[in-house]
Amino acid sequence: MRIIEIVISPIIAFVIGMFLLGLSRKIMARIHWRYGPPLIQPVIDIVKLFNQTSMSHGNIFNLGVILSLAGSMVVVLFLPIGKLHPLSGSGGLLVILYIMLFGPLGIALSGGEAANPNTSIGISRKLILTLGYELPLILILLAVMTYYRTISIVEIVGAQQEARWSMLSFPLVVPGIAYLLILPAILGERPFELVKAPQEISSGTMVEYGGKYLALATIEHAFSLFVGTALFVNLFLGGSSNPGFFIIKVIVVFIVEVLINAVFPRFRVDQAIKYLWRWPTLVALAGLILVFIIER
Amino acid sequence: MSVEFLLIIAFGGAFLTYLLGKISHRLRDVFAVLISCALVAIIAYLYGKDLEKTFYLGFFGLPLQLRLHMLSWFFAITVSSVGALSIIFSLSYIRQRERTDFYYLMMLLVNASMLGIVLSGDLVSFYIFWEIMSWSAFLLISYNRGPALAAGMKYIIMSVVGSIGILIGILSLYTTCGTLNMTEITVHLAAASSRYIIFIIITFSIGFGIKSAMVPLHTWLPDAHSQAPSPFSAVLSGILIKMGTYGFLLIMYVIVGIRLFLGLGSGLFSFNYILCFLGAVTAVIPTFIALLQNDAKRLLAWHSIGQIGYIIMGITLGTSLSIAGGVFHLFNHAMFKALLFLTVGAVEYRTRGVRDLNSLGGLIKRMPVTFMAALVGALGIIGVPLTNGFVSKWLIYKSLILEQHPFFAFAAFIGTWGTLLSFYKFLHNMFLGQLPEKYKDVEKAPFSMQFSMIIFSIIIVITGILPGIPLKVINGIGTTFGFGSLNVTIWGIISETGTINTVNIFAAIIGACVIVWLIFRAGPKATKIAQDNNYAAGAAIPSDRYNYTVDFYNPLYRMIAPYLRDFVDEFYTRLANWTRGLGNGVRRIYTGDVGYYVIYIILFLALLIIVQVKWSIW
Repeated sequence: MRIIEIVISPIIAFVIGMFLLGLSRKIMARIHWRYGPPLIQPVIDIVKLFNQTSMSHGNIFNLGVILSLAGSMVVVLFLPIGKLHPLSGSGGLLVILYIMLFGPLGIALSGGEAANPNTSIGISRKLILTLGYELPLILILLAVMTYYRTISIVEIVGAQQEARWSMLSFPLVVPGIAYLLILPAILGERPFELVKAPQEISSGTMVEYGGKYLALATIEHAFSLFVGTALFVNLFLGGSSNPGFFIIKVIVVFIVEVLINAVFPRFRVDQAIKYLWRWPTLVALAGLILVFIIER
Repeated sequence: MSVEFLLIIAFGGAFLTYLLGKISHRLRDVFAVLISCALVAIIAYLYGKDLEKTFYLGFFGLPLQLRLHMLSWFFAITVSSVGALSIIFSLSYIRQRERTDFYYLMMLLVNASMLGIVLSGDLVSFYIFWEIMSWSAFLLISYNRGPALAAGMKYIIMSVVGSIGILIGILSLYTTCGTLNMTEITVHLAAASSRYIIFIIITFSIGFGIKSAMVPLHTWLPDAHSQAPSPFSAVLSGILIKMGTYGFLLIMYVIVGIRLFLGLGSGLFSFNYILCFLGAVTAVIPTFIALLQNDAKRLLAWHSIGQIGYIIMGITLGTSLSIAGGVFHLFNHAMFKALLFLTVGAVEYRTRGVRDLNSLGGLIKRMPVTFMAALVGALGIIGVPLTNGFVSKWLIYKSLILEQHPFFAFAAFIGTWGTLLSFYKFLHNMFLGQLPEKYKDVEKAPFSMQFSMIIFSIIIVITGILPGIPLKVINGIGTTFGFGSLNVTIWGIISETGTINTVNIFAAIIGACVIVWLIFRAGPKATKIAQDNNYAAGAAIPSDRYNYTVDFYNPLYRMIAPYLRDFVDEFYTRLANWTRGLGNGVRRIYTGDVGYYVIYIILFLALLIIVQVKWSIW
């Protein structure tokens, strides 16, 4: 049974992630008054890329890409998707936080060996941005963990299904709002796509990738879209008792997020940090203090 | 085999090495390695034994004792293995330098004295070994001369202040308890008032806090660590500052005892929470100061302070889980920080003393083994799963969250993110990016250096995947302190509030990597091209000029740098200048003219007479 779950979870995440990728392009296009590519375009791109020749810069260049995609796949095993949570008993939310590191770290190592200044700038921006959103994110996660007195995400989901969604209960609605404020930064979507910024640093971390490398990096991005949204659904929208509803929730949250953020222009990196460390952090801090006072 | 035999080998070996160096350098090298490895073997053999030995009676009627128990065994094995690997690393590092005999003598002496500290059963022998350690470390820190002398001076002044604190504590304990044997003191202290216990802990904490570089007593460390010879930096950061944390464990849980210690104060203002708060500050601010550093060893040095913060948080929070996390993190930090200093040492050795992060780059092409070692060390200190740093940090986070201290946990997490940023910079600026023209001919590190680095890397990964091996010993330490026993298995810890299973994580990551690798392999094979090929699109560009290293996190620096000054160091410097000014002022009255001195004496007598006439005190 567990073996089947281990196989199914990443597949679900992959399919939904690719779908979200196509969806965001479509919605963005419609907002721009364009027709946009078909929903299946990312899949077509990947198949195409995978058959092209590519260039490598060395072993760490290869290893980094592999590691980053593998890390993102593993996160899914720890994240409950409906009732599917094959490995969540091995360390809880803290492990998820840490394995989420593999994605950026792998890309960073790989890009580092490429020795392209644009890549290095992209990595520098990516890590700064990560630090930027981790500050509120940690406050949010701590508020949730302190409130439910557990580090297990399965128990957090279970507690919400017994009572009600965290998003609808008093102190936790505050960190919930903070999470929504930083969600685009976690997903690397507008207005936080400064890591790629094609017009400034020619796609930053992606510039040296071609062919199968670009395909793997795109799949990694798809996984991270799924993980970032699914974490919100699990923590604040009560997860779900079956994978179908869970996926619907994920898609709804994603669409809302894209609709709101599609109209914003891109931040500069210092503006992004200033934004992330001001309102979302203040709201998240207020949430944590409220939870702390109420729980004590 | 008894305990004093171990110390005889350690100290005797140190002096014998010095004498052998006068005969033949090769013989001395072999002997130094043999001695340090023999110590590891003997300590490993003594595992699980509880020994006590009175070796000298005549010290003012106080018996001097040696004692081996779980805690001291754990520290002894850490000390001796880091010591042995640094000695092996030194073989090639120090060969071309002068005063090598002296160097080996001091290295072995520091190790021997640290073994003495952890094996002492009474406070007098503890203090004697403590002083031997402080002074021999001073001689090694200033080994390089030049700026190292100033760094050594700063270290020894702070160290002496700390020793005075410890001495006051010891004297006070002697007057109250009439004995300095640790077990007997515990019995006497059971009846003491809590005010007295706080006094004792504070006096000792000054000494231990300075040695372990806890904020605000940390200022000696960045200079000392960056100026010392690299293998000794590894010892210094890996184990010497851990003697401070050993001292904390000793005074808190062995001498004062868990029940008394955790009962000081109440609520959020408990004494241990105040220490825990200092630990949280120590974990955050130095880590972000480290982010701003450009000297590789200085960066590592600031991180040493930061990681000490985690250890302090772990051991002062005072639950069985947090103690396990703190002590395990202490072991892990010894391993990965020693490894990181050794990798910088190897780079420094091959590039002839360059450790400026802005001018290096691309060395992965020339020193692949060193890069892998640095990568393992960096992953360990960040706490990425599959390294031992992950398990210990997990334990510390978890206990902080479950004990309802989200703000301390926040500090711990933020410290980790700062660590990630600065260690990516560390790896990128030294090993990744473009290889500058002047380092085109750099060779790979010599065998003895690679050997030490590989062994450290293996320890980090093995204890990361199978953390049960050290955790079993650490659990034993916790139970001797009186904490509840943890359910330790080979792959982690089982508990109702959250199990950790590193083997599952390991299997998942390896499995995923294999799958992705198979997909990767299935695609068309990639052609390997030169580094500047893609960027220049085939055109000839001047090499060496497209390396993004200086100010790697520039937008972030501009935001946080103004807030990250070392105010404590500035305060101490001002205090030192003020003291010097006072001294100069006082010196002016010594004119050298006898007439003035006669006047001083008469004035003083007149003052005494006036006082007597007016208030008639005598």
